[in-house]
Amino acid sequence: MPVRVVETSAPSQVSGGDSGSTCPQPCTLLSVGQAFSGTQNVSNKHIDEAWRVNVRIQGCDLDHGYLCGTMEALNVPMADTPVITFWEGEIVDTKNYTFFTGKWEATPEDDIKQWSKFPSFSPLQSQVEADGGKSLNLSNYPYIFMRWKELYFVNVGTDCGLTIAGFYYVCFSCSDGSINGFYYDPNSSPFQKLELKSTNEGRPGFSFSSYELQ
Amino acid sequence: MLVTLSLPSSTSHEITLPLSTMPASVSPAASTIRPSTDTLIRLASSDHGVQLKALRDVKNQIIGNRTKKLVYIKLGAVPAVASVLADALDGSGHSSTDLLVQSAAALGSFACGVDAGVRAVLDSGALPCLIQLLSNHDEKVIGSAARSLKLLYQSKLAPKYDLSENGSVELLHSLLNSENENANGLAASIIAHSCKASAEQKAFCLNGILAKLIDLLGGSISQRDASLESLASIMKSNHEVASQFVKYERGQALNLLVNLTNERSTRTRLLACACLITLRNVSSTYLRGRGTETKLVRYLVELLEEPGQVGEEASFALSSFIEDDEHLQKLAFDANAIDVLCNHLQKDPLQPKRLEGILIALARMCSRLEFCRAKFLQMQAFNSVSEALHHDCADVRGAACICMRNVTRSVQNLSAGFFMNENIVIPLLELLHDPNPFIQLEALCAISNIVVNFRTSNSSFIRWGGLKQLVQLSVSMDPAIRSNSLCAIRNLTFEADNKCKAEVFKELTASSLASLVSDPDPSVQEQALAIVRNLTGGSLESIQYAFAEGGIILDAVQRQLECASTVESGIQGIFVLSNVASGRDAHKDAVMDRLLHNMGSGSNPPYLLRFMQSNDSRLRTASLWLVVNLASPSCMGASRRIAKLRKAGVVSQLKIMVKDPCLDVKVCRAGAWHFFPLKPSFEPIADYSPGNFFLSAASSDDHTGSVPDLRRQLKIELFMCIALRIFPVLLHSCPSGCPIPFGLKTRNSILLLSTSITDPFATSS
Repeated sequence: MPVRVVETSAPSQVSGGDSGSTCPQPCTLLSVGQAFSGTQNVSNKHIDEAWRVNVRIQGCDLDHGYLCGTMEALNVPMADTPVITFWEGEIVDTKNYTFFTGKWEATPEDDIKQWSKFPSFSPLQSQVEADGGKSLNLSNYPYIFMRWKELYFVNVGTDCGLTIAGFYYVCFSCSDGSINGFYYDPNSSPFQKLELKSTNEGRPGFSFSSYELQ
Repeated sequence: MLVTLSLPSSTSHEITLPLSTMPASVSPAASTIRPSTDTLIRLASSDHGVQLKALRDVKNQIIGNRTKKLVYIKLGAVPAVASVLADALDGSGHSSTDLLVQSAAALGSFACGVDAGVRAVLDSGALPCLIQLLSNHDEKVIGSAARSLKLLYQSKLAPKYDLSENGSVELLHSLLNSENENANGLAASIIAHSCKASAEQKAFCLNGILAKLIDLLGGSISQRDASLESLASIMKSNHEVASQFVKYERGQALNLLVNLTNERSTRTRLLACACLITLRNVSSTYLRGRGTETKLVRYLVELLEEPGQVGEEASFALSSFIEDDEHLQKLAFDANAIDVLCNHLQKDPLQPKRLEGILIALARMCSRLEFCRAKFLQMQAFNSVSEALHHDCADVRGAACICMRNVTRSVQNLSAGFFMNENIVIPLLELLHDPNPFIQLEALCAISNIVVNFRTSNSSFIRWGGLKQLVQLSVSMDPAIRSNSLCAIRNLTFEADNKCKAEVFKELTASSLASLVSDPDPSVQEQALAIVRNLTGGSLESIQYAFAEGGIILDAVQRQLECASTVESGIQGIFVLSNVASGRDAHKDAVMDRLLHNMGSGSNPPYLLRFMQSNDSRLRTASLWLVVNLASPSCMGASRRIAKLRKAGVVSQLKIMVKDPCLDVKVCRAGAWHFFPLKPSFEPIADYSPGNFFLSAASSDDHTGSVPDLRRQLKIELFMCIALRIFPVLLHSCPSGCPIPFGLKTRNSILLLSTSITDPFATSS
């Protein structure tokens, strides 16, 4: 069912959910301090391995479609220690960023091909192919699409044998806090899939911290 | 503040030669003459030559010398000079002209930059005399009077120019029309001084001044410049006047103004830009569709390169133009403003005013856009900002602090620990004691950003004494300082390790934190609650902080929630309870007891229900997380807490929230909802087989012996699947211990979950 939403109900009297905005709404599970853990599966005819991955959100600015954080990869064969990278995310909100990347050697065809790997993208596909999804109203869509680009290694040198030349197409599910992603690098052939779930790091419940920049 | 000097005795330093016998050629240098009552005697002399000399002596001594000005003012020199002026007005001849010129100049000098001087000149009654001089036939007299009046009108103590007074409008017109640039400058000063309020601006328009100013945009350079300055004053923040200007002769005035941005004279270009900025600040529509904004930014960036006052003022004009406007900041970025500013910043030495202007402009550029901050840091001029923190001039230090504050909003660089550097932090900590309160506050805000660290330890900051200083400031008399120092501590505790939290808690203390939670200032309350929230987040043992000293912090949080004065305090307070409730059974029960106590008090609606009904989605969401954590089946006592929540009306409220417009609320509500069984009564059962959902009539006091309803069974199974899908973490991330089967059984249904049971206050294993 197409999810190009035309607002038929009257604008709500309550706040937080700006009724005029078509951008994704805030989601507590995708806010600063939130942690995710799971695996990155690297698979091709030569190798088939899974790294454990932990991700933590450090910055989130929905007005600018910006997200950032760290990614920690454990049991990486080429590395003696866990490898941590810092990444920045572009949130596809049709205002700051569309489904078309426009850089990082990703063509619109590449974009459609990668986004199509997410089942949650299929209702949006026709509109995205038509206009990049600019006319979509994503404010009530329970998935947030992003691109994550690792910028630098935090704790190892660039000679660690790993590359961060590519980027991830990412889909976050607002309803269960899960993250799925596909790594794209035209110069790197393995199929790499990221699967993460929200974690509360050993607590029998969810805890949330916050900071405020002046 | 008057400076009192211990003056040398008059017999030792005063000039005692009879004045009449002193040839002018051997008169001592003015700088060696001490202020004395002898000067007053000479000013009162009937000999014009003596008076003239005395005037020159006074004038030459006081120019640029604040101390001497104050001494002469105290001696009563100003009335004496005013008296010379008044007498000379009645006189004629060359000597009178000289006396007029010198006395006017002296009075202007007294008024320049010294409030006591302005008061003395006004009190002496010299103002009408000076104004009278503007009609003099001698250009030198007019020039001297105009310069002095301009200096007077630059002071806020000067009276407003009264257009209703006889002849005042004509005088203003004549000043504007004059070929004398001092007269033109005076007119601009008068208008700038007298056009603060909207009614005043309108009065100037009604008296034909607006039309005259527009007309003079085509006049001589000084007339044009004076007009531009005056127009900016008249239109500032005034929709009516700005609109009149824009519509004047179908936009001809605006076109003329835009054209003046291309003038050869850099001063004219700058003033024209400033005038356009004033228009845009009234309404962005005035410049729309002309590409004027892009051109304005480009012109201002070019003018940054000009030497002297134009270059200085260009940076302030650029700052005021781009302030708070991302679109304009982007235009300035595209015009290479950051490159130009950084190149100037690295030149040495810079005049304080220019340095201040550059720092403020960089601060505005970096206020909102990450790519601007990235560019600035790439230019490697950041060291110059750190150095400016030590500058002698307070305005420069203040500008450096604002720049620091804005650049340290870069999360990428905070994450890299770029700013946690003693060359940056230690000077900022020193500025917390700056005599200027504005600088203290800006330094505090910069520190508050820097201590947000995600990976690097804050031990350096603590070692440099930063934490101690923040805690000291948390009890400042100034609520802004209190609130901002607490915000810094909040940021310090964000995702902090146990060692850092322990240090913060030890320094701040439980009693102080409890007291700050109850502070009369709402923003202080909010930040204090946020600190407690951060302290209780993270590792499980952190929850202990809420219970320190018999739970005084939690009690204070409870009291604050009962009378939450702001939404922000409510959000932070509820998240404190939610974080505590994310712990073990005893933690959850402690929170539950407090909720029940509130619900039992009866006087107001319970805060949990109030918050679930709030207009603010963040508060509704926070409340739901509390419900989720309380109702979570991950701990043994979930069933009794669920019963209590149901009895308190939470389930009814959850039902109402099914149509909440906010997606985050809906998701959280759905998660909470599925922890509440279909039927109220339930009890745990001991046996669990994963994936084996049965309707069971066994071992339940509520058992009716009825045939299991398959449809109901499937519905429950579906609910369970959804609940498991939504919050699987609650089932799999229990504290260590052997998983012990645990179940909830409702009549005709069984929901089976597993959890582990541990001592709620046991230390983590």
